[in-house]
Amino acid sequence: MTTSEPASGNGNGGAAPGELLLKVEGVTAGYGGGDILKGVSFTVARNEIMCIVGPNGSGKSTLLSTISGILRPRTGEIAFLGDSLVGLAPRQILGKGVVLVPQAHSLFAEMTVRENVEMGAYTVRDPALVRRRRDEIEEMFPLVRERAADKAGSLSGGQQRLVELARSLMLDPSLIVLDEPSIGLDPPTRRTVFQMVRLMNEQGRTILLVEQNARAGLKLSTRGLVLENGRVRLTGTGREILEHPEIGSLYLGGAVSSTPAG
Amino acid sequence: MSASSIAHAIVDGILTGGVYALMAAGLTLIFGVMDIINIAQGALVVLGAYMSYVLSAHLGIDLFLGLIITIPAFFVLGVAIEWSFMRRLREQDRVAMSILVTYAVAIIIEGILSVIFGVNVLQLHASYVDSTFHLLGFYLPYIYVFGFVLALVLLAALYYVLYRTHFGRGVRGSLQNRTAAELIGVNVDRVRMVSVGIGVAVTAAGGMVFGATNAFTPSSGYDLISRLLSIVILAGLGSIGGALVAALFMVTLEDVVAVVWSPVWATLVYYASLIVVLSFRPNGLFGTAAVRAQ
Repeated sequence: MTTSEPASGNGNGGAAPGELLLKVEGVTAGYGGGDILKGVSFTVARNEIMCIVGPNGSGKSTLLSTISGILRPRTGEIAFLGDSLVGLAPRQILGKGVVLVPQAHSLFAEMTVRENVEMGAYTVRDPALVRRRRDEIEEMFPLVRERAADKAGSLSGGQQRLVELARSLMLDPSLIVLDEPSIGLDPPTRRTVFQMVRLMNEQGRTILLVEQNARAGLKLSTRGLVLENGRVRLTGTGREILEHPEIGSLYLGGAVSSTPAG
Repeated sequence: MSASSIAHAIVDGILTGGVYALMAAGLTLIFGVMDIINIAQGALVVLGAYMSYVLSAHLGIDLFLGLIITIPAFFVLGVAIEWSFMRRLREQDRVAMSILVTYAVAIIIEGILSVIFGVNVLQLHASYVDSTFHLLGFYLPYIYVFGFVLALVLLAALYYVLYRTHFGRGVRGSLQNRTAAELIGVNVDRVRMVSVGIGVAVTAAGGMVFGATNAFTPSSGYDLISRLLSIVILAGLGSIGGALVAALFMVTLEDVVAVVWSPVWATLVYYASLIVVLSFRPNGLFGTAAVRAQ
């Protein structure tokens, strides 16, 4: 099936900021016999940057896979703008305006940077629209224009990450789901990636990200969620979570006031 | 041995090599998108030869005209094989299991052909199969040139589909990184099914030319599959352009060695050269296994 093109424009689809975009309700999911997610509930409002943190094995990536349709929840409901995403294939969820940028190696290494970016609009059949969006994205990501003819596999890890972000914009999505965008990057490159995430948010995209570097991720975000052993331990603003004494000592190496952010 | 006999061996090798590339193209395409080593490829080539035989000997349809029927029929057959055998294999042990499953497909095809046609040797006939033309002091059957041109046209068409069309982007995306392809909206299951259909469809043409240039029986596929596998391994699994280069190299080398030295050594020298190439380039001449492994 060919997915429909999501609303054009800045990804807002005409809706007001603050409107409920994603609602996850009592989701249980896992691979094989066991449940990794055990009744996860939370919401994401439009124009937020929501950061999910938690220890290894807490279910962060599983949660993103479930939202993106790679893994089907066993129970619970996931709704995007009121429409259920449960049981839809990844490409159908993509068609609704939810794009997942997976953890690493999601580029087509043997294709050029430009081809990779254009592949982001694989479901769009209007070449003029694809070209226009590509031009806009090349304005936003100069790297994409400078390295357009190079094979994606020849780029550094940080550059590949930026191309992945650029590609995620080709469908003009409402919600961009990022799985560990800073993984494996040195601090300067990580800052560049986070700057681009912030810019994408300022341009009207809602961001849901999982971040191993919890401190940096929460500082970037408007709201945070702590996932622990497949359950939501805490939600709040990024600042509240960073300053929470118990969470700070458990996952962040001390609350924000006692340790400078990385 | 003379210079002209070597020249003849080279011309013969190039013309035949093109046809081998056509037969190997389906094998390498199916491996590329499915991770399936289609041992039935040889049997499918033979099936193509038998279908062309039925159309020409019993219905009087020209061999090349008959491809209008056999190519679409093979496309449907490919889709059916993918649906009934290939997609049911689990991702984890797909490569290993595919050898067993497609071997079963080869046995089924061979069995059906044996029941219908018996085990007698057949060859396709047409005016251009049995008549020759003069080149470099030798007489070559027209079918070698026609077969070579057909192979080039179909390989070029395959290349066009893969590198110049929307569907081809989906195929290459699925080939290089299937999870990422799925996440950007490629319907990987459909792409795989159509790719296998195309891979088997071009085999129908390869089968016709094979049947016109070789005598065949229902079990001719087994000899063929070892040659086709060696071509795609030399080329690098998944590379269609590489398959053409490797096929031309293999058949030309064999023909030249047969003339210069002895036919006994021809195949051995080719396989020895395969081992030498693989020791320096384990992924073959044009292989991208490291990329696909991501």
